[in-house]
Amino acid sequence: MVVKGLEVAVVAVTKTMKKNHELAKVLAAASCALIGSLSTAHAEESWDVDSAFLLYSESDGRVSAAEPVISATKNYDSETRLNVKLVADTLTGASANGATPSDEAQTFTSPSGNGTYTAAVGDQPLDDTFRDTRVALSSNWNAPINRDWAYGVGGYVSKEHDYQSLGVSSSVSRYLNQKNTTLTLGLGAANDTINPEGGVPTGLFQVPESASSSEFAQRDDSESKSIMDAVFGLTQVVNRNTIMQFNYSINTSSGYLTDPYKILSVIDDDSTGNNYGGNYTVNNRNLYLYEKRPDSRLKQSLYWQTKHQFDNNDILDVSYRYMFDDWGITSHTIDAKYRFRFDHQYLEPQLRWYSQSKADFYHRYLDSSAYTEVDFASADYRLGDLDTYTIGLRYGYQFADETEFYTRFSLYHQESSGDDGYGKLTSQELYPGLDAAMLMIGYKF
Amino acid sequence: MVAKPYFLIAATLCCGLLLSVTASASALISADEAKKAPHASQQLPQYQGKPQSLQDVRGDVLLVDFWASWCGPCRESFPWMTEMQAKYKAQGFKVIAINLDQDKQQALDFLKEYSPGFTVLFDNNATMPDRFGVIGMPTSFLVDRKGRIRAVHTGFHQDQLANYESVITQLLAESEGK
Amino acid sequence: MSKHFMLMGVIGITFLITGCSEMGVKAWERDVLAQQEMSLINEPVESSLNDHVYFSKEASSGGQGFGGGGCGCN
Repeated sequence: MVVKGLEVAVVAVTKTMKKNHELAKVLAAASCALIGSLSTAHAEESWDVDSAFLLYSESDGRVSAAEPVISATKNYDSETRLNVKLVADTLTGASANGATPSDEAQTFTSPSGNGTYTAAVGDQPLDDTFRDTRVALSSNWNAPINRDWAYGVGGYVSKEHDYQSLGVSSSVSRYLNQKNTTLTLGLGAANDTINPEGGVPTGLFQVPESASSSEFAQRDDSESKSIMDAVFGLTQVVNRNTIMQFNYSINTSSGYLTDPYKILSVIDDDSTGNNYGGNYTVNNRNLYLYEKRPDSRLKQSLYWQTKHQFDNNDILDVSYRYMFDDWGITSHTIDAKYRFRFDHQYLEPQLRWYSQSKADFYHRYLDSSAYTEVDFASADYRLGDLDTYTIGLRYGYQFADETEFYTRFSLYHQESSGDDGYGKLTSQELYPGLDAAMLMIGYKF
Repeated sequence: MVAKPYFLIAATLCCGLLLSVTASASALISADEAKKAPHASQQLPQYQGKPQSLQDVRGDVLLVDFWASWCGPCRESFPWMTEMQAKYKAQGFKVIAINLDQDKQQALDFLKEYSPGFTVLFDNNATMPDRFGVIGMPTSFLVDRKGRIRAVHTGFHQDQLANYESVITQLLAESEGK
Repeated sequence: MSKHFMLMGVIGITFLITGCSEMGVKAWERDVLAQQEMSLINEPVESSLNDHVYFSKEASSGGQGFGGGGCGCN
């Protein structure tokens, strides 16, 4: 019954997402309802705040980011709580635009069409106009319905200069076997709007020279996508020291899933000519196309997590995720953490390994003899064959007043791979790796 | 615009859920159907006192409460139990809280901080809760003057305090008459 | 194909729940599980910061868990 109700709610919400104003009204109404129910709550409640600051920096002066977070949780009793979280982040730097490096200097039109940027001979083409500020606000409410059931509802809104996202989520949990087993069904819906700089480019169309081109004139200002997801989870207490969780989740996105700032190089594959493996030119201009992705994606994933506390109080936390989608991507993620616990301190080494196989429409470049035949294409390395590794260390100190200071340092490494091209292209580095360092500092009070 | 009715439904459902955490009224189990409290003669060590069994306090109405120091709702119930014992002591009401911490020291640390106004016994090997049928923490059993279990409450919910108290007063009133 | 998948899912879940009823602890044995550090997502702020980084750098996202466990007191 409750589940059915939530389904109705989610369907209703997605239907109305087209009108963001109305969603905003509903969120406002929901928060009023929440505040109403809060005022009747008991007096012993307190706010627990976790505040943190993340610095993220990629090597070679690519993207760097600063991200402050403040998360406040009000506990009404051991099972009833309200969480409100505010995140801001600022990004600066350059990111790969998708084009291949070349034996000649390359000039690219900036996304707005009002300028250009260049890549020197053999350099990765990086769009350095990349900067953004994001603010996101989310809220969650969890409470029991009775001894056997609990529920949660949540919402979030985020805003960047060219991207807005609005979402709602809900869940119901059923406890079984004296609360040793918990079944959870979660449903979520979100609606994102993108209004890229310079408008929405035409997929697989040649990148024009400037904003005065007719392609710019016919652009739409914005596009949107909607996302629905469902999670079915089983949490099981194994013994006094061990707990385990299995989840199956399904996620569908539909609408504009393309990255408007990413392009592809078209490479001359005429093996008899002297430009074999070089940039294909039309009217003396290198041919670059805007990428285009399918307008729907269905992702499914299986997730398993186990947490175990040893007799010396140390805690091991291991998880594995298998994900597959109808774009042809499959991925494996293994995450492991081991917390050494001392009287008022802990030290936690962390390891993560991630490996994905490429999307069917991923192409590092397109061939000049065949580029008109593709329906979808993207050179975004995030859709290619990719392995990533994270190694991190977290340290925390708990003060006598139950506040905690913590810090975490981690290194992130990406390795891409794929076919090496032909002719002149083989001497270019098509799959550069990426290294990033992250430093997080936080305080809980 | 079509979506508006859906939204009203959604909003109503959400509100319904928010307000649905209602108390389930529990009445006394009738004296004929009530079972005797198990382990009544088992002596347990007492906090700041001599070992005691439930039998030793027969003749009073007892609230036998199973608790542990790591359990949040148990902590919340301590001031309330102190208040109840103080309020109804004259009518022959007593709280006996049986601690189930596997590590007794943690219970002692807790008791130092939350000095209880009632009797605390230790069952750190958990010999009693199984036969009592404890399925949550805390679980409290209201035992009448003849040693029979007349009400059971699992958990401690602030919104049910009036209900808990009315069951106590009902049982006190009943046994006075008999 | 999808029917087989569904059937396998149903059998799998039934098996899991049956198996699960054999596992577990008594209400008074949850002292370790009640520790905040033993909840499945014990550092939600760190997890959300990491998820944001991985979300913007990799093709997979989500699928992870939600809360669960804890003292399960009431």
